[in-house]
Amino acid sequence: MRSRALLLILGCALLLLGAVLVGPRLEGAQGQFIVWQLRVPRVLVGMGVGATLALVGAVFQALFQNPLATSDTVGTTAGATVGALFAFALDSSRTVQGLPLVTVCAFAGALAGSLLVASFASARRVHSSDILLAGIAVTLASSALASGIQYVSDSRALFAATQWSLGQLPQVGYRGVLLLAPLCTLSCGLLLLLTRPLQVFALGEDLAHSRGVNVPRLRLFALGLGSLGVAACVAWCGPIAFVGLIVPHLVRRLLGASYRTLLPMSLCVGGALLVTCDAFARLIVPGRELPVGIVTAALGAPTLVFLVARGRR
Amino acid sequence: MSELRFVDLSVQVSGRTLLDRVSLSVGKGELVALLGPNGAGKTTLLKTALALRAPSSGSVLLAGESVAALEPRKRAGLIAWLPQHIRAEEPVTGLESVAAARYRFRESHADSRRAAERALARVSASQYAERRVTELSGGERQRVAFAGLVAQEAEILLFDEPANHLDPGQQQDLYRLLGQMWRQGRSILCITHDVNLLHQLGDAARVRVVGLRAGRLVFDSPFDAPALAEQLGDLFGIEMNCLHGGEQRFFVPRSRSTS
Repeated sequence: MRSRALLLILGCALLLLGAVLVGPRLEGAQGQFIVWQLRVPRVLVGMGVGATLALVGAVFQALFQNPLATSDTVGTTAGATVGALFAFALDSSRTVQGLPLVTVCAFAGALAGSLLVASFASARRVHSSDILLAGIAVTLASSALASGIQYVSDSRALFAATQWSLGQLPQVGYRGVLLLAPLCTLSCGLLLLLTRPLQVFALGEDLAHSRGVNVPRLRLFALGLGSLGVAACVAWCGPIAFVGLIVPHLVRRLLGASYRTLLPMSLCVGGALLVTCDAFARLIVPGRELPVGIVTAALGAPTLVFLVARGRR
Repeated sequence: MSELRFVDLSVQVSGRTLLDRVSLSVGKGELVALLGPNGAGKTTLLKTALALRAPSSGSVLLAGESVAALEPRKRAGLIAWLPQHIRAEEPVTGLESVAAARYRFRESHADSRRAAERALARVSASQYAERRVTELSGGERQRVAFAGLVAQEAEILLFDEPANHLDPGQQQDLYRLLGQMWRQGRSILCITHDVNLLHQLGDAARVRVVGLRAGRLVFDSPFDAPALAEQLGDLFGIEMNCLHGGEQRFFVPRSRSTS
């Protein structure tokens, strides 16, 4: 098992390195600039976003005891979408403290959506299935709100919103990395500290309670920390589908369901997967970049079907 | 060792009474077998003892303190539970599953694994340590779950129909293990549908048998009480025969006429 994990880490490192180097042949000062000022920060953002989405996916799947749970399930993405649409309807070229208005509004929307669900989760006697339903309710309410904003938006705002909703790693340079890194590090770092209670929780909510896990507190911390990281990612990149869903299942299949392995390896594989998909999105159509969200969705859907089919055998 | 006490306990949900002023205690080193028809409130009673369900009135005291007020890790040191249905959707190994029961101890992962190995050996389940629980049969999974209960090292143990889905041999093995833990001084409250399995405990005469029907306690008798057959018959609404085999009594429902 350990050698398999080491192989997987090595594979992830090679994929990350490959994502920086792959592409048209680059030479001279211009080449240096493209590699160090464009590709490297983009790979770093991709690593952070992919790692956070995958880790949060693994945590939420344990937390909701549902293999289909992701950050989308608890209203984070839906809240971010409402925020982003609101910003596009206002004026997407505006900035707040040097940050794009879209990013700020999407972040605020994501946190608001998650906060609603988290406040419900903090109640003492609710079950995970109740929180899942609360997340679905927030998502539906957000969709209604988003539809309302779209109805009154002009075509320019609608086009920008559609592009945003496809999910894309932006060219944000090192400034973007520095803004994203603290939130992702805080979210992922503290979530990794919850490995032990999550392992107990994954074996059954009531059983975890009987074994000494403070269930309401665990839920609140995991939900809050996960939502914080995902809110930051969605605010920068838009919703990127399937990474949070697929990666934990992939790691579980390869290395088992011990959370001491599952969580850190989801982090590694999620980062490498998103960066690889992004490199693919850069190269697949010559002279044009596809949004990475299209690639993850195109890869994710068949992978999910494959995993389900394998799991049934 | 601690005592578990239900004091005038009632539980109501949506106007329906699940438990009605139940008062019961499980003393230090006692084994109480809880019997009753389906829907009598047996599992609800166990869940109130674990603070998984709040009483509408009355209280549950564990070592003299309200169970709801206990800090979770402290409560886990006092009381442990083997549920009726063992969830096995995560493909963790038997060893990891048992090591998770050590959560209340602030110890290293290596220490948890060593304790889990000892617990598995104690219930003769070491062969399942490296197998995924999702691949185990119902009986094997129950044994691993039992090892988890051993690993938790709590003073009071709650069992919710532990012999469900087991073949007769596995049922006997499980009740023998339960008897071992009882003789080591644990207090036990065990829901069962088969009172005859209590013979496997080793010292059945010391067992208290408690009947619960429609949320109310209807009897509390020692296992060797002469009236037990009649009490069991009344509890389940059937006629119960008492057969003697050596020094042991066996309770067998009288077959109903099919005409």
